[in-house]
Formats: sequence, C-alpha cells, structure tokens
Amino acid sequence: MKRKKIILYVVLSLLLVLAAAAIYIYIEYNRTHEDTARLKADYSLAATDLIKEFETNEQASNKKYWDKVIRVEGTVKEVAKDDKGFYSLALGDTSSLSAVRCSIDSVHSNEAAAVKKGNFIAIKGICSGFNADEMLGSDVILVRSMVDTKK
Amino acid sequence: MKNLFVTTFAVFAAMTCLGQKFYTKNAQINFDATSSSSPERIEAINRTATCVVDTKNGNIQFAVLMKGFAFERALMEEHFNENYMESDKFPKAEFKGEIKDNDDINYSKDGIYPVKVKGKLTMHGESDDVDAEAKIIILNGKISAAADFTVKLSDYKISIPGLVADKISKTARITVTCSLEPLKN
Repeated sequence: MKRKKIILYVVLSLLLVLAAAAIYIYIEYNRTHEDTARLKADYSLAATDLIKEFETNEQASNKKYWDKVIRVEGTVKEVAKDDKGFYSLALGDTSSLSAVRCSIDSVHSNEAAAVKKGNFIAIKGICSGFNADEMLGSDVILVRSMVDTKK
Repeated sequence: MKNLFVTTFAVFAAMTCLGQKFYTKNAQINFDATSSSSPERIEAINRTATCVVDTKNGNIQFAVLMKGFAFERALMEEHFNENYMESDKFPKAEFKGEIKDNDDINYSKDGIYPVKVKGKLTMHGESDDVDAEAKIIILNGKISAAADFTVKLSDYKISIPGLVADKISKTARITVTCSLEPLKN
C-alpha cells in the first residue's frame, strides 16, 4: 500500500514537471517582441552625439550600443513612408548627410504619421549598428522604434 | 526660339540624369529560410538596407545590418542573430555587383527591364558569388528595382544544428525591393 502511494507521488510530480516544461516551451516559442514603449532606455542622448560617437570609434560604439535600447533626441531630417505603410524617420543635423535612422514599429505608426520634417522629437529604439558610407552619409540604425513623447 | 530653349533644357536634364547615381536608405530585404517540410514560416524582413545604383556603368551596391531583420517570433530572431549569423561579430552584410545588361536599359523611358545582376555577397564574414534575376522598373521617371535569388547557407559557413534541420532550409531565398532617389552631390 505504502509503496503504491510513493509510486503515485513520483508519477504525479513527474507529470507536473513535464507540464510545466511544456507550458514554458510553448510560451517561449510564441513569445513576441516586447513593445519598445515599455522598455527602459539603456542610453539617452542627442542624435548628433550618437552619430559622432560611432564616427570616431565604430567598434567600441558597436560594443556599447548594439542591441541596447536607446533614446535619441534630434531634429527630423526626413520622414519616409514605404508602399506598405511603414514609417522611417531620420534624425540629425540637416547640414550633414549622416543621421540616426529609425524604422518605426508598425504598432506605433500613428504617432510617426504626425511627425513633420523639422520637428524636434525623441525616439526610442533598439540599436542595430552603424552603416558607414562616405558618399551617402553614415547612419546609426534603430529598429522597432517609436516616437517617445514622455520627457 | 522658345522651342530651342525647351529642347536644350530637356537634353541637359536628360544628360545630368543619365550620369547620375541613385540611392535609397530604405530598401527592403526579405529573408526566407522556410524548408518545404516545415509547418512554420522562417522569414524576416529588413526595411533599412542601403542601396546605390550607378546608372552609367550599372554598378550596384547594398549594405544591410543583420540585427535589423525582424522576425515575428522573438525567439527565432534571437537564434538568427546569436546562433546562425553571429550578428555581434558580423553586424553587416554587403553586396557589390553590376547589372549585366545595363546598356539595354533606357533610364529615361518608362518600362520594366528584366536584367541579370552578378556580384559578391558578404555575410557572416564570408564572401561568395551571387547571380540574381532582377527587374529595373522605370515609372514616371522614377527608378525602382526588385531582385530575387537564393543563397546556400553553407557557402557562408552558417551551420544548422541537426535538431532543427527539417525546419530550416539549407538555402535561403532573398528578395529585394527598393525605390531609388537621385543622389544630389
């Protein structure tokens, strides 16, 4: 009798562990990206300063900023909307070709639609690196970005 | 007299147009490595690729940051960056090549021109030759381009672990679309 009880407990706890593992795998597998609006910025700085930092030392900046949440402030140089309705905003100094290019997360398209060239705004996004180009100007790229209206 | 002026102007406009470079910083690159036996789609899109086309000699260049490829599932994107592409070590992919039949394209005349693009693709720290079927589309004087090709992942030393080998295809299909703006110097 006692033995049977022990076996029962063992089987039951094993099943529980299995179920927990299955639930974990299911949730992890279906996990979507966290909304950038809810992420806390690791770094907050002026768009022009971020560009300058990448221009002076690309490698060190990549190490520092890559995959980090960054909040940049600057003047809007360009508002681009592609044929599928995705927005991309470029912040930076209008006298230079370089910019911080932010591709806007589609859930935040509405806020981006209100932005005009010349506005001074803040954008929060995830840094995907630096695209250096002498002819076209160098860009720091932020993905899954959103216009940050909070001070 | 007025006619002469208009023609001269048109000729000049066409001339400056011909020897120009065109570019975009919002080219779209689609990456699809779904294997035929897989029930789920393994694909990502990057909307922040840079592209430059020189209409004079047909030179074409792309640059794209790996981390900018967006997958629907966060886990898939993490695996793409961490295990397969090692994006922290190799953050960028580049393509340098030329439009083979560039002379057949009349950039000042509307139309769809099917062309072949040949060049070198560098990703994951490896370079390999790529041949792509592409289309140059001229509509109302605006140039856009679309291309489609497949790459063998093993050519770029990207290895797929046995556990997921039935889900991830050994070749990836890359689709590129972009509309280009004239580069003002």
